[in-house]
Amino acid sequence: MALSRRELFRLCGSAAVVMALPACGDNLGSAVFSNRELEALRAFANVIIPEDDEPGGVQLGAVEYIERLIRAFDRPPELPTPVIFAGGPFSDRNPIPDSNGQPTAEHPANDFTNFLELDRVADAAWRLAVLGSAALPNGAPNEAFFGPLLALEDQLKSGLREAQESATASIGDLSQEERTKLFNAQPDEFKALIIDLVTEAAFAAPEYGGNIDLAGWRLCHFEGDSQPLGYSQFTPAGYVERPEAPTSTANPGPDPDPLGDDVTQLLELVIQVLGGRVRA
Amino acid sequence: MRQTVYGNTSLDAFDTIVIGSGAGGGPVAYVLAKAGKKVLVLEAGPCHLDFLDDPARQPVPRFSNDELKLERRKLIETNDRLEPRTWRNTPADGDRIAELTGNVQALPKTVGGGCLHADLKMPRFEPTDFQLGSLLSVPGTSFADWPVDYAELEPFYAWGERLLGVQGRQGANPFEGPRSTPYPMPPGVPMYGGSVVGTGLAALGYTMFPYPAAINSMPYDGRPACVDCGFCSGYPCPTNAKGSTAVTMLRSALVSGNCQLRAETRVVRLIANAAKTAITAVEAIGPDGERVMFSADRYVLAASPIEDARLLLLSDPDGLGNSSGMVGRNLTFHYQTRVLGIFDQRVHGYRGRTVAECFADFRGKPNDPAHPLGGIVEISGGGFPIGEAGFYSQIINQAKLGKWDGALFKSLMRQSPGRDRVMVLVMVGEDAPQTSNRVDLDPAIVDLDGLPVARITYQNHAFELDAETFYQPKLMDIFSAAGARYTAPAPREAIPSSQHIMGTLRFGSDAATSVCDRNGRFWDIGNLFASDGALFPTSSGYNPTMTIVALALRVAAALVDPISPESVIT
Repeated sequence: MALSRRELFRLCGSAAVVMALPACGDNLGSAVFSNRELEALRAFANVIIPEDDEPGGVQLGAVEYIERLIRAFDRPPELPTPVIFAGGPFSDRNPIPDSNGQPTAEHPANDFTNFLELDRVADAAWRLAVLGSAALPNGAPNEAFFGPLLALEDQLKSGLREAQESATASIGDLSQEERTKLFNAQPDEFKALIIDLVTEAAFAAPEYGGNIDLAGWRLCHFEGDSQPLGYSQFTPAGYVERPEAPTSTANPGPDPDPLGDDVTQLLELVIQVLGGRVRA
Repeated sequence: MRQTVYGNTSLDAFDTIVIGSGAGGGPVAYVLAKAGKKVLVLEAGPCHLDFLDDPARQPVPRFSNDELKLERRKLIETNDRLEPRTWRNTPADGDRIAELTGNVQALPKTVGGGCLHADLKMPRFEPTDFQLGSLLSVPGTSFADWPVDYAELEPFYAWGERLLGVQGRQGANPFEGPRSTPYPMPPGVPMYGGSVVGTGLAALGYTMFPYPAAINSMPYDGRPACVDCGFCSGYPCPTNAKGSTAVTMLRSALVSGNCQLRAETRVVRLIANAAKTAITAVEAIGPDGERVMFSADRYVLAASPIEDARLLLLSDPDGLGNSSGMVGRNLTFHYQTRVLGIFDQRVHGYRGRTVAECFADFRGKPNDPAHPLGGIVEISGGGFPIGEAGFYSQIINQAKLGKWDGALFKSLMRQSPGRDRVMVLVMVGEDAPQTSNRVDLDPAIVDLDGLPVARITYQNHAFELDAETFYQPKLMDIFSAAGARYTAPAPREAIPSSQHIMGTLRFGSDAATSVCDRNGRFWDIGNLFASDGALFPTSSGYNPTMTIVALALRVAAALVDPISPESVIT
């Protein structure tokens, strides 16, 4: 069995050494996960967001996103900043407007790719969140009350291993329905972690490793980061709004995904539980 | 090597040390620096505004339209594991309620403070809000008059609005007090969702108006107009179109040559003389964890009400400045009543300024059973896909008894009832002050530096709960009248999430019942002042930031000229 990068890190005591090592053992497709772990993770990513005529969790970059977070502190000496917080103020996805509020051909540089240096507290907080209590010299504060924190990598791997052990066959050989049943049978904490990570991957800015080709934002009809163009531009003659995505008026054209029966049935249940009203 | 010292880095002797760089600290730095005083601002958090002290260019924010960075990974908030707070409703709960420990009303810890995450809705309080001690008699509450009334604060409101750049329309709020000046700029682009809700308000006879906000509707003071990117509430501005005190007043102080800002420098102790009548120095933990000392003639607390009180309690077993026993007490939050409306059409409330319109008909009147005291109502959009996904995962979990349904989740994301079709009415309800609602030190839980954390003991009074019961159905009526397909109240929160924090060092006219005098000076300590929301004796039913700014300007002006502070206004 391959050592995890974290275990290697412990053995070698140097991130630089880990960076220099090739992925080893049986993990062919991932620098973090073994093939078996990867198979389970990919299966669950597509349980959370199934593939249909649009991408599922895997194609939206769930694995890439999770690996990048797990390895946020494994940085080469020439690029030491942990990849936790993308920079700002702008990505290069939107044009700079002209004085008439119209988009030009010019785009700003992509500041999102310049990850932010962490201050003392943020560095400790994220080492704790990613690498667990062992990453801090004295562990996390108040461990007597709240217990130690496990590394994200260990949480994921042990959850994936337990899921595989409880499955009747290799997860890769199960149908989508069987994979969903298997996922639903896992502990709540593990399920919540997978849901959080896969949905973050799908709908965060692509600089974090997921939302590949912006397919996550397209799926939910969200324009994404809009600066510096935004949705309204001030001009001395008045505000210029984006015709296809206005601020003050209804969207033009037909609704790309109107409310359907599957969603309204769920909503009616939620509204009833909350003590709300459904329009007659 | 990241920068942590800004402004005049060669200054080493100071008239005044200001603890905290947000809405309470920025105005003090501005007024004193402009008056030629040498000011040191100590801020616990990092600075994410590059070139903040560069006179030749506007600050360059590291903020962006990035939901993961701000909402999920919480770039500017305190960390709930390393810097937690604890919570209990009453001492009968024991030392704390374990599952409520962590992120308790965490305000941003960053240069600029709470002014950065706010969508900077900046209404003034109404004149009667300063007199509720005289006007109300509610058993179990500690309503008190402010020692400064609306008329005395009005010139400072006007000054603050001008320095920050506040958009709004004079006379649009039928309940507003007299104004000496119009708003510095007109309202910006209305939000479509606000207009849709407005049809319901009009049908029921309520008066919708543009929310006063420190957001540029046009270029102002070298900063650009807002482009309605939507990342407003919870998101510091990527372009400085939001006129936070950081990019206006604090920046002016830093470029004046009279001010030095030290970021990542957390004050952990005020050191007093033997008689505890004067502060002689402060001890802080610097950027690398080192202990450092600073001293000045005067000291101003502006670290937010909870941290102000914690610092006084960390500094002395009885609490410095606490002869009244009131340090940490009369803590208030706004009690926000929320009702959501889901529409057939996409109302795209995530575009715009989160909130662009409001109405004040539910603020109510003292002692009027037909119009109990509630608060201004925000007509709010907002929300982005990661949070939306979290909301859907919760309702799937509840409706399907813990079973995930990926196809349904994908339908929800595509049809977007929880983001693209939803508007929320948020009533910023007055929270009745109670002496038993307080901050003290947790007896066992510590932060990453081993210091006891703040513990909140807080329980709602029937005053605000009855107002919710009264107004919540009326809020639902508005959505129904506006044609919403669904409307429902949001569940009551275990911990209020308003992030409007007030009280703990209330100011007043009597040293026996208040902590500070009318100029923000501690009754017990002649060279110690408070200048943030901690001074508020009552919370009003309007967003607090404009009043924090006006009050901080007045506290600073009184430091310059105690006899006629208004003469300091420029």
